[in-house]
Amino acid sequence: MRVSSSQIFDTGILGVTRNQGDVYKLQNQLSTGRRVLTPSDDPVAAAQALVVSQSQAVNTQYLDAQGNARTQLATVEGQLSSLTDLLQNVRERLVQAGNPTLSQTDRQSIATEMQARLEALTSLANVTDGQGEFLFSGYKGDTRPFALDSTSAMAYFGDSGERKLQVDSSRQMSTSVAGDDLFMRVKNGNGTFQVQTGGAVTVLPPVLPATTPTITVNGTNQGAARMDAGSVTDIGKWQAAMVDTFWADDVNAGDLRVVFETATTYQIYDNSSPATPVPLLATAATFTPGQAIALRSDTLDFGANIVINGAPAVGDSFTISQSSNQSMFDTMQNIITALTTPISGTVYSSTEYSNAIGSEMVNVDQALDNVSRIRSQVGSRLNDLDALTDVSENNKLQYSGKLSDLQDLDYAKAISDFTKKQMQLEAAQATFAKTSQLSLFNYI
Amino acid sequence: MSSGLYSIGVTGMNAAQLGLLTTEHNIANSMTAGYNRQRTIQATNIPIMTGAGSMGQGTHVATVERMYSKFLSGQVNRAQTGVSELDAYYSEIAQIDNMLADPSSGLSPALQEFFSAAQQVAANPASMSARQSMISMAESMVSRYQGLQSRLNELADGINGQVTDVVQNINSYAREIAELNNRIVVAESSVQQPSNDLRDQRDELVSELNKLVRVQVNEDSNGSYNVFIGSGQTLVVGPQTQEMTATAAIADISTIVIGLKTATGNVQELPEGLVDGGQLGGLLRFRSEALNPAFNQLGRIAASMALTFNAQHALGQDLLGQASGEGNFQGDFFTIPSPVVLGNAINTGTADISANFVEPDYSTNFYTNLSASDYRLSYDGTNYTLKRLDDNNSWSAASIATLSDLVDDSEGFTLAGTGTMDVGDTFIIRPTKQIADSIGVNVNIANDPRLVAAAMPVRDSSGVANTGNAKISNTRTIAGYSPAVATLPFTLTYGAPAQFDGYNRQSGISNYDFSGAGLAQFDVDGIGVTLTTNLVDDAGLSADLQSQLPGYTVTVNAPGDISISRNGSLAPVTITNADVNAMAAGFVNSAGTAGTPAAAGTLTISPAAAAAQNFSVTIGGTTTVYSGGIFPYDPATGAKVTVNGIAFDLNGTPNFGDTFTIERNTGGNADGRNMLALGKLQTQKTVAGGSASYQDAYAQLVSDNGNRTRQIEVTGKAQQALLQQASNSREAMSGVNLDEEAANLIRFQQAYQASAKMLQIGSKLFETLLALG
Repeated sequence: MRVSSSQIFDTGILGVTRNQGDVYKLQNQLSTGRRVLTPSDDPVAAAQALVVSQSQAVNTQYLDAQGNARTQLATVEGQLSSLTDLLQNVRERLVQAGNPTLSQTDRQSIATEMQARLEALTSLANVTDGQGEFLFSGYKGDTRPFALDSTSAMAYFGDSGERKLQVDSSRQMSTSVAGDDLFMRVKNGNGTFQVQTGGAVTVLPPVLPATTPTITVNGTNQGAARMDAGSVTDIGKWQAAMVDTFWADDVNAGDLRVVFETATTYQIYDNSSPATPVPLLATAATFTPGQAIALRSDTLDFGANIVINGAPAVGDSFTISQSSNQSMFDTMQNIITALTTPISGTVYSSTEYSNAIGSEMVNVDQALDNVSRIRSQVGSRLNDLDALTDVSENNKLQYSGKLSDLQDLDYAKAISDFTKKQMQLEAAQATFAKTSQLSLFNYI
Repeated sequence: MSSGLYSIGVTGMNAAQLGLLTTEHNIANSMTAGYNRQRTIQATNIPIMTGAGSMGQGTHVATVERMYSKFLSGQVNRAQTGVSELDAYYSEIAQIDNMLADPSSGLSPALQEFFSAAQQVAANPASMSARQSMISMAESMVSRYQGLQSRLNELADGINGQVTDVVQNINSYAREIAELNNRIVVAESSVQQPSNDLRDQRDELVSELNKLVRVQVNEDSNGSYNVFIGSGQTLVVGPQTQEMTATAAIADISTIVIGLKTATGNVQELPEGLVDGGQLGGLLRFRSEALNPAFNQLGRIAASMALTFNAQHALGQDLLGQASGEGNFQGDFFTIPSPVVLGNAINTGTADISANFVEPDYSTNFYTNLSASDYRLSYDGTNYTLKRLDDNNSWSAASIATLSDLVDDSEGFTLAGTGTMDVGDTFIIRPTKQIADSIGVNVNIANDPRLVAAAMPVRDSSGVANTGNAKISNTRTIAGYSPAVATLPFTLTYGAPAQFDGYNRQSGISNYDFSGAGLAQFDVDGIGVTLTTNLVDDAGLSADLQSQLPGYTVTVNAPGDISISRNGSLAPVTITNADVNAMAAGFVNSAGTAGTPAAAGTLTISPAAAAAQNFSVTIGGTTTVYSGGIFPYDPATGAKVTVNGIAFDLNGTPNFGDTFTIERNTGGNADGRNMLALGKLQTQKTVAGGSASYQDAYAQLVSDNGNRTRQIEVTGKAQQALLQQASNSREAMSGVNLDEEAANLIRFQQAYQASAKMLQIGSKLFETLLALG
């Protein structure tokens, strides 16, 4: 092939520059440690790296959020622990108060202590977090959640909101506990129904054979009959009974009244319209102290019973109603009222007192149950957080590894490539220098 | 005889001398660009015919030949124009590539920092410093968008400038070629020999011109070149040139386009597709293939982000407790201008067209349907046509308003126009091109971080007296919420299944004979019903009632128990004005049917104003709209409810009388729910019809551009190799080899010496003759 002289120079220079370009790029890769210097080096890897780096950043957000959630939940957990201690202390005092030999002064001193506990409870409910926001006020961080309302009853001024954090791609975790859920929504009685003594003074209608002659049901029990909290033996029957058409007024479904027509017989009335009680049994049932009284009508079994001990007076009664929510403050207030009311004969007998203490004891147990329910929620959230953090930490490693795979340089290969290119460049330079010196003119 | 010797010797010396001159010319020009080596073509002189035969008369140089092949040169030119095009393309696109390459200066880190700051607000909604930090991050993200866009703007301006320069160079080359045409024709016609060096110069100019733009050349019989560009547009004909122009496009004055100046001095724009090759082709291809899509893709991310973020932000409540439409509430977190509409400079109609973004669509999150394309609106006298320029999809309608309705959902913007378009008028619509440059953070929010709407304006609560375990949850605002329309608070009360007023037969009545005692009359919801005949039994009665009560369903529940229900409603039916006969027959406002109520109950809404709203209730995937202030609720399935842009879920088993309240989130300063929803936008599919996240769309921009850069780089290398081969072939023929020339020097020197020796011999012969005399 015929070769022109300028071609010899052009080709020589081209060889040198091309090798220089490759060496320059390798040097650049080696000095930055990155395989992909511009997206065009590996467009797929560059785009993937962007997506992975976002996943990594989002994962970091989750880790931050998990940290925040852990701090906030730990604060809540601390308060719940104090609350448990407080309620247990109240319960111990109640056990003491149940002792019938206590004098009025003893009861008064327990009442004073209870008053202090109530104040402690209030301040605990109104606690603020590190940023000065109320812990138990829902979304209303600046609103004092618990205060006395116009009727001097403790009311909740917060809302039911639970503050949330995005702790994982598909998980928003509540990091607060709404005050109403914790303090206000405590079921009274045994959680299904509540037993109370007495009720409205009612003259039973004379139409029924069992009630002749007419008797008047006492507003306050006069006998020595003590009730328990009652128990549900068949929840299915209870639930079916609650929606039975039996109840004309659905709102008061479940209101019953066990009335002692004699010291040894009782009748069960539909008490949903207290002014006009309807007897549910064709004939009054025989009462034996300590025996379970089944709640039923002739046609309907409620699947529940209550146990009454001691001797009732004629006209004494026990009312049963579905459990409703009673705040811890109300329970405390009831305890204080029961303790401070002087015991005197027919107005407030010692039986009435021990019945009152007994039913509030049940309510304190309910409050403790409620706290432990919420504590277990908080605890399981804290557990979840640990698991989520493990996952996130693991993801973090994986994302870093993936990013490194996508972008980073394989040094062994790059250095070997570099050495090879260097040799090529040196060869190109050396041969160019030699070739360009070859000329016939040197010999003529 | 000796005179013959002399003369032949002289011809030899002359030829050798010319050979030496040509060789020296070659050596001198060995590094001249475009030089083709020359050589002398020697031929014998015309012999003299003598009796002894044909006597040779020596030699002469017939011509000096240029070692040139137009095919080889053409190959080089074609390869060269490709290389120049790809070089120009590559050097531009590599700038975008480098801009997107830097991990610290790209969009990605700014996007991540912004959303990270948003999560901090979600964690501490009441914290002013978290809010301020989010706003600062938003501003830095906006300026990152602007930085990227302004870099692209610089490239676009650079293209405009380069196109202008290249066109000037093309014109000056064209003029030089025309001038050389002239000189070559004159020079060659006078001596009838090729004008080698002038032709070299002209071929070199053609080659240079090919570096600027691909041209085709043909040669006239008189030796002059005609040069064409594109699909045959004349640039040079003999000594004449046609001037190329670079002017602002009539469709968009911000873009410089090329054209040809016509004889009348007007400028005719050349379609860009016609011009290819060379630097000009590379620049134009870069602009249409890489730069404009990059503008649009970047703008689409910016627009989608601003629109979706704003849409979600508008559903929130700020720290002052304000929600959409209240007080100084700022729905828009980002400010975003309307799409750019450019009228063609030669439009004759009076039309003024504007475009506006539509509110983002909402399924599980907000998303936009914006494409990364520009659009052209045209009018043909009957129909308005909107064409999407990247794939030539088009829509036509008889009015702009109808056209707007056709495209607003699928393309994400609306059109509006005043005045009239003339036939042939066009408008260019650029929904996304300038957006990255023009979005900003709402100044009011930037000045007052309390206006960041981190909270949701609604919240739920369950009645404190509730005894069931049903929960209301996930209460939030969705698209369509407006506090002015939503009636808050409202309460849902769970009750027994609706029981309808109806007919209970009184005991003692065995058949339904209304014929004897006269008419039985009563009203059902005010609709008069009259029964007159013996209806025999329940079936007969219900059939008669049904015939008089269209829109109601009459059902026999049990013997003597008939219920009347209004179709599509759970509200009780009211029976009034029952006359004596009807009363006697048993028509009463009964409490309903006996038997076991269904497990499902109803939720009744109060107060009345709220009850009048439309409640969409979704149970197990089926959505039904209830307007009567009451809807069914089955504890087994739960329900998802929406009303006037408020959504909530109900689950679990309530007891009768349990209440659930939806109310304004008054004082909800610790609520970060809307910010959580905003934060989720980072990973949700918000762009391109809900198919990509912001980051996905940005990754697509990076990958599209990276792929194209790589493709151009690889093609460029291949084209370079092609050029190398072609130019090797040409050099093999036309290039100067100095060793060869050195040999020629010796060859011609020796020929000269030999011819000179002949003169000496002639001279000696002559002296011999003289000696004789």
